[in-house]
Amino acid sequence: MDFGKYKTWIALVIFILLLILAAVSYQWELKVIFSGRYVPFVLLLVLSFAGYYFISRATEGKPIPVRKIAAFDAIEEGIARAVEMGRTVHFTLGYGPISTVNAPQYLAGLGVLSHVAKLCAKYGAQLVSTLGVPELIAAEEEIIRDAYYSGGKPELYNVTYNVRYLTDQQFAYASAVQATIQRENAGANIVVGPFWAESLIFMEAGAAIDSFQVAGTARETQIPFFVLAADYAFIGEEIFAAGAMASGDVETLASIRGQDIGKLVSWILIVVGLILLPIGVKLAEYLVK
Amino acid sequence: MSVVVRRNLPQIIVALIIVLMVLFYFFYINADVSKTFTTADKALSDWAIVITAIAAIVGGIDILRYHVNQIRKREMRQIIFSCIVIVMEIIMVLLACYALSSGIAITTQPNFAWLYTYLYAPADAAMYSILVFYIASASYRTFRARNPPAILLLIVAIIVMLGNTSLGAMIWEGFLPLRDWIYNVPNTAAFRPITMGIGFGLIMLGLRLIVGKETTWMGRRE
Repeated sequence: MDFGKYKTWIALVIFILLLILAAVSYQWELKVIFSGRYVPFVLLLVLSFAGYYFISRATEGKPIPVRKIAAFDAIEEGIARAVEMGRTVHFTLGYGPISTVNAPQYLAGLGVLSHVAKLCAKYGAQLVSTLGVPELIAAEEEIIRDAYYSGGKPELYNVTYNVRYLTDQQFAYASAVQATIQRENAGANIVVGPFWAESLIFMEAGAAIDSFQVAGTARETQIPFFVLAADYAFIGEEIFAAGAMASGDVETLASIRGQDIGKLVSWILIVVGLILLPIGVKLAEYLVK
Repeated sequence: MSVVVRRNLPQIIVALIIVLMVLFYFFYINADVSKTFTTADKALSDWAIVITAIAAIVGGIDILRYHVNQIRKREMRQIIFSCIVIVMEIIMVLLACYALSSGIAITTQPNFAWLYTYLYAPADAAMYSILVFYIASASYRTFRARNPPAILLLIVAIIVMLGNTSLGAMIWEGFLPLRDWIYNVPNTAAFRPITMGIGFGLIMLGLRLIVGKETTWMGRRE
């Protein structure tokens, strides 16, 4: 029996069963789900099912329209410009241990690095990738080596040159990245990952040598710096979508539609909440119950 | 290395951990089992510390490899900096080893602490303070009244700057409440959708990791 054909239906049945479980637990206070976590649980279910549904449709060969992200498309423009000017491409991922809440941003950054490395191989650009995450040295080396070898440019791969671990201390890392951008005369400066106060240091170092800059982070406090100082910026969740786009796989890309469903659901909740507010009903209080 | 070890096994481990984390976050489960996945038991976080410590050694070797290479290439502009980095790295490692052999914490070893307090900390603080000049130069480039949104940005920036200084209060007392309103109302309204979007992006990343569609983090694909 071919279970592949029924995967979406099986997922739907599990989804409905879990929804029923959440509803029953909420109604009769069964203590199956922690109180105050019902709505996040249902939202997680809805989004996961929506994402899985779109992935399944893409697997069946049905076209799934995916929105464009200007910063993602701009990476190619930046790398091509750097090659024309005979300058290098610089990429940095961030610093610190991977075992923190920032781990998803490192993963998203690696996805973007994979895309950048492939484009560097395509155009014959020299890529310098700096990082302050010691756990990811091997992953970066493999991503860049894979990109140059599969792109037919193995002569451009030099592990000591392409991947540079600097340090996991914030401002030591910031000064080393700044020095690398300026000494290597980076024509394109791509900065994607979790960043703190060092974000503006990187942007200004790039601006001083007229680099084409693409930056992105999911840390809310640093997004304004990137939006103002970079040529193109990934805003928040776009760095996670960029990771999917970098794969070039239609099934992976289709999952981005799930994010859009989440935005739609939150918009509906906000509008309903605003409508109910004047008649004295606070929707938010019900949602966190 | 086989595809199973290189690709399938890490995918299964990651998917399993994500599913277990979600289960333990939402569902009432045996307390002893569930605390294994929280900081209370430290089982996972201790593993993370061990892995990070080993990765730091790899990082140290990577730094040495790069700078030794620079010296061998006789890059005259770089050679002095590479020498300093290598000498300082060796000194710090030797002092740390000496501290361990003496049975004291590394950070309390007098020479190590002196180097950290009087060499590293001031350099670190200097780097942080340089930010003020970068903020000034970035502001100069950004706050130019080129188009209507840029004019709006410029006006808001001036209000917030005046609200943050005593000079602003001397000119008009309303700058401070106006700054607070900008922080609390338009600023919060702009940030919340971004925060929600990040949450949705994370959920989709988790889903892709569970179904094995997110593979770039594993490096080589074959």
